[in-house]
Amino acid sequence: MLQVHNFTKRYGRIAALSDVSFSVREGEVLGLIGPNGSGKTTLFECMGGVLPLDGGALVRDGRAVSGRERASMLFYLPDQIVPWPAQTVRWAIAFTLGLFGGRAALRDQVVRELDVEPLLDATIGSLSKGQRKRALLAIGLLMPHPLLLADEPFEGLDLRQSRDVARTLRSYASAGRTMFLSIHQIRDAGRVCDRFVLLSGGRARGEGTIRELAAMAAARGTSAGDDLEEVFLALT
Amino acid sequence: MRSRRKATGEREEHAEKSFSAISASSAVPLLWLLRKEYRELIASRAWWVLLFAMGPLVGVTFISAMRTYAEASGLNGTAAGVGEAFSPLIGIWAPTFSACEVAAVFLLPFVAIRLVAGDRQSGALKIEAQHPMPAFGRVAAKALVLMLAWIVASMPAAAAIALWQSYGGSLYRPEIATVAFGHLLNAGLTIALAAVMAAVSEHPSTAAILTLSVTVGTWILNFIAAVQGGIWERAAGYTPPAMVATFQHGLVRLDVVLVAAILIAAGVMLAAVWIRTGVAVGRRVRETAAWSAVAAAAIFACAFVTPSWDASESRANSFPEPDEAALARINGPLHIEAHLAPEDPRRADLDRKAIAKLRRVMPKVDVRYVSATSIGLFEQTSPHYGEIWYELGGRREMSRGTTAESVLETIYDLAGIKAPAESDEPIFRGHPLAVPPKGAATVFYGLWPALVVASALFARRRYA
Repeated sequence: MLQVHNFTKRYGRIAALSDVSFSVREGEVLGLIGPNGSGKTTLFECMGGVLPLDGGALVRDGRAVSGRERASMLFYLPDQIVPWPAQTVRWAIAFTLGLFGGRAALRDQVVRELDVEPLLDATIGSLSKGQRKRALLAIGLLMPHPLLLADEPFEGLDLRQSRDVARTLRSYASAGRTMFLSIHQIRDAGRVCDRFVLLSGGRARGEGTIRELAAMAAARGTSAGDDLEEVFLALT
Repeated sequence: MRSRRKATGEREEHAEKSFSAISASSAVPLLWLLRKEYRELIASRAWWVLLFAMGPLVGVTFISAMRTYAEASGLNGTAAGVGEAFSPLIGIWAPTFSACEVAAVFLLPFVAIRLVAGDRQSGALKIEAQHPMPAFGRVAAKALVLMLAWIVASMPAAAAIALWQSYGGSLYRPEIATVAFGHLLNAGLTIALAAVMAAVSEHPSTAAILTLSVTVGTWILNFIAAVQGGIWERAAGYTPPAMVATFQHGLVRLDVVLVAAILIAAGVMLAAVWIRTGVAVGRRVRETAAWSAVAAAAIFACAFVTPSWDASESRANSFPEPDEAALARINGPLHIEAHLAPEDPRRADLDRKAIAKLRRVMPKVDVRYVSATSIGLFEQTSPHYGEIWYELGGRREMSRGTTAESVLETIYDLAGIKAPAESDEPIFRGHPLAVPPKGAATVFYGLWPALVVASALFARRRYA
């Protein structure tokens, strides 16, 4: 569907991303795994066009994707934002649906599945972190773009909510929506993702399913089995 | 209990309906942005503070102007005067609308910065910026809503007009429209400046400091112009205070309107360049330089645009019509060399009473001021100080007069034409009004603030 090709981003002397390359396949849930400060958010912001790249490109069918193509192809849902804090969740959903021409027919279903219904008349600024995360995920799922990039979709959610959200995300992926999720909790990632990109120190350390990554780790002389945490530690 | 449940049900039904109503018009992203900016404005405390303050601000200037005007008109047994002193434009509307200038400088920037920088602060920009709509469109939506907000905030000035009429005051609509238009342009400039600063800076407080710094910079420019004259004077003619002063005298100058429009468009464009966080800084700097160069070239071209319209009832910016007709028949370029220092009051007289009027009817007037000092006090003993030399068609003549009559007389002499007979058009006698501003304090200090507070509470309940 899309290739991230040699993404490079520097903040002054610090290299946040160094020649990061991997691919996103249609209909999959791809997980971006890495510790805090590994460059996950920077990678997403560069993919979403929110930050400028110093090098590299998004590539599709062998050619670089233009800004307009990217705008119609992917939607990036940032973490740690409180957009339109004085507006209600109901209005924010309606606004983003209207602005982006989103999937209005799915609105009630998404709102129900993410348990956003009780929050509809609350202002976004008054929501807790977890409530806000669910409201923003609802917005993300309702966007018309075939690829959804969600930064830390489980951040602020309790165990039950994490499981419910993971199930919801998987169901939309099964229906054909491609997802790319940045997750620092490896256990959460293992529950929801089909494949993984391991990021550490601004470099991609591996890409593939758990088995493929375990094989890579084994090739380096570490037997990690099917445990994603062990695989991650072995490869980074 | 039942009524409470019913109310909740109605609320849910209403909310559901509004949900559907909003979604129904999803085909027009710009309309959505306009709605969003409107709602964000309503949610902004800065906006309500501006709205609240406008009543007392306009009130204090209107009431003070009314009292002075009434006393000069014979209230409380004072002797009534005549002439331009009783032009409502100069006596009432220029001071009353000056409250709008104060609000545009000290309050409006904060409303504009809140609307532009708020998206970046909250993270909403990261979502909205993913829409393929050009950034110019997104900033223009904010600017449009802010301009409409300014019109609403100017309602106390409209209330002042209504009160003036209710006291029996004479209203000359073209001059009121001119003053209001000047202040609208001034607000547009403030909004554009604040938008650029909010887009360039990371934090709203930095944007506020930068905006106020530019405003203070224009004051400094005006001060330098008053002292130095020359090119500084020319540049200062396009600063917001000078622009507003032109309109407050009832004069609509096309060059000033065009320069203001260019500056507003350039401001919106530069803000659009800088809110694109996904574009490399180097490219944004290059685009800024390119747009600035385009704007500078356009402004330079505007300096050659001469049409203007005198909208004042007293024709304060024009010579009598027969003189204008006579001057229009003079073809050659007129060169004037005035040996007067920038701060000499005679120079201000010459400028305002003669040269500004001459430029309106004679497109080829070239004026050069010569002085060795800025105040002229120590040049008085210089033999040529105070001389004003006129050159037309190869002939030169000197005069020391700075009144319109003496300037016209010299020009007619040089041109070899007879001064036209005095016009039989009626002389503007002014509109004295010896009436105290009864009820104005109640309107501006009581009703308006109460209305704003009630609206703020209603809006809070309605939208949140």
